[in-house]
Amino acid sequence: MKLLSALAERQLVVVTGKGGVGKTTLAAAIGRLLAAGGRRTLLLEIDPRESLHQLLGTEPSGGRILTAGDRLAAQNLQPKVVMEGLVREKVPIGALAKKIVASQVFQHFVEGAPGVKEMAVLGYALRMVEGAYRHKAEVVVLDAPATGHGASMLAAPLMLADAIAGGQLGDMAKELAAFIADPQRCGVVLATLAEEMPVQEAIELVALLRERMGRPPELVIANALYPPFPREAPSRGGAEQAEILGLWRQRRAVNERELKRLRGSWKGPLVELPLLPLDRGPALLAALEIELGGQLQ
Amino acid sequence: MTLGTLDRELLVVVGAGGVGKTTLAAALGLQSARAGADTLVMTFDPSLRLKDALGVAETAKERPAVVKAGTRGRLEVALLDARTTFDRLIRRYAPDTEAADRIFGNRFYRDLAGNLAGILEYMAVERLFEVQSERKYDRIILDTPPTRQALDFLGAPDRIVNFLASGAVRLALKPWWEQGGGLKRLPMRLAAKGAEGIADRIIGIRLLGDIMEFFRAFGPLYDGFRQRAEEVRTLLRSPETLFLLVSGPGADRIPDTLFFARKLKEAGHRVGPIVVNQVHPQVRGRGAPGSGELAIGMELFRYLGERDSQGIGRLQGLLSRSEPLLTVPLQAAPPTDLAELEALGRIILDQLDG
Repeated sequence: MKLLSALAERQLVVVTGKGGVGKTTLAAAIGRLLAAGGRRTLLLEIDPRESLHQLLGTEPSGGRILTAGDRLAAQNLQPKVVMEGLVREKVPIGALAKKIVASQVFQHFVEGAPGVKEMAVLGYALRMVEGAYRHKAEVVVLDAPATGHGASMLAAPLMLADAIAGGQLGDMAKELAAFIADPQRCGVVLATLAEEMPVQEAIELVALLRERMGRPPELVIANALYPPFPREAPSRGGAEQAEILGLWRQRRAVNERELKRLRGSWKGPLVELPLLPLDRGPALLAALEIELGGQLQ
Repeated sequence: MTLGTLDRELLVVVGAGGVGKTTLAAALGLQSARAGADTLVMTFDPSLRLKDALGVAETAKERPAVVKAGTRGRLEVALLDARTTFDRLIRRYAPDTEAADRIFGNRFYRDLAGNLAGILEYMAVERLFEVQSERKYDRIILDTPPTRQALDFLGAPDRIVNFLASGAVRLALKPWWEQGGGLKRLPMRLAAKGAEGIADRIIGIRLLGDIMEFFRAFGPLYDGFRQRAEEVRTLLRSPETLFLLVSGPGADRIPDTLFFARKLKEAGHRVGPIVVNQVHPQVRGRGAPGSGELAIGMELFRYLGERDSQGIGRLQGLLSRSEPLLTVPLQAAPPTDLAELEALGRIILDQLDG
């Protein structure tokens, strides 16, 4: 698989998937691999409860862009902040912009209106790689928020482009929908666990990307797999060992069954990553980076 | 057998995504029906396996399906679906079919309303209220939708009411439709004009038209919405309502779990035992010798057992005596039939009795 160099040519790599599948860690590992390969990379985290910095060993971003290694920067970005920036940019009168941003309408709009937050984040990423900001990045790796369904980030521009004709939001939606749909510019990495519900959602998301956007993901990662059950498991040993072995065998069987189901509807690249005996932190990130890098070369 | 401290009319199962809420809700529902209570389990998105285990089909979106479990009490399962509930709500509360059709035909409603942030959560609460007021069950167990943070569930109804029904939205949209509409003070008018220009340039006039029409059509329903949101808030704080917080094991889950337990209490809710689910067993004996597959695997399980036990220990240390903690071991595989589901529920009940 020469997937890594293919991903490195993208301007945006969206790492998506259900909550609790290790998305942030995988996004960080991909970001580090791209940076190590020579690309100026920005890791973007959206979750307001920051955790990316714990993996990278930096201080919390608090909205700022922090250096996290050679050619690697990281930022925790709040959609609301992007929206506020947008208003300030469009409204030349400072006092008026302030009033709008502080208004209830604006707050409710950002919080409740469908697709607005997603658009703000994607728009920020696009402008970043186009060089609109002081910080320069060639590729943005986005740790997409785990909403009810992982698709909402990717589907938002298309949904809004369908619904809105004209206006800057409509134009922006069209532009972003085209950006997301262009496999030369945007890559999608789908993270999952080899368990029933995450695999079900992964299959649905693959279908949605294919049918609605005409583009499959670049890569599916099945994370945190129990190791293959040894062919020659001991028959001796106490009750405790028997219990552990039984659990191991059956959890691995669930993993294998679900991987098979996933492969039934996803024929593209699939990376399998092991469950590792490491706490969430820099050591885990380093181990996953090596494992992922090895499989993607 | 009784449900002990869980013997309430409404159990709300909350927690982050992927911690096994839905399966536990079903397992508790089964135990509740076995104990003789007519029980409804309301859930969003059960796995195919769980649906098979319960014998529930998609039709449960329209009306609750009866689970043939041979229990003393009736066990029924309702599948929640935001769009179905939203449609039904509009049909019920619109003054006439014409008004309902106006909403159904609206572009904003068709394309976007089903995607409003928090709509799933809002509709869960709506449906809960609808079912609860029919008084057909002794107990309702509500499985909440997966959210990043468990807390989102409680905030969502407010967010959606604010967005859908807020006078502020209507007021802000006014300048387009009623020229010079009632804004007397100059700064206000300037702000409104500014907002108008911005919104026109940014949102586009057609979407605005659709939104405006939606709110107009929605107008007659507004008071009902508002009132029910208030009643639901009361219901969720009633002494007959208990929140069951489900957490994953491991130290990295502790902050979220504690945070949510505190927030629930601050908001005046009653929080039952905290359930730590999917706990790996501890490996006490010596591991397998050597460095083969077996030894590496056993070391992994030793680590996982240790990780989970430390996480639980730390959580326990942070909770007070009045906040009991239950643990549910990681199951070898998800339950595939009623017998396995029953066994899972019993693990919880046994800890309540002991």
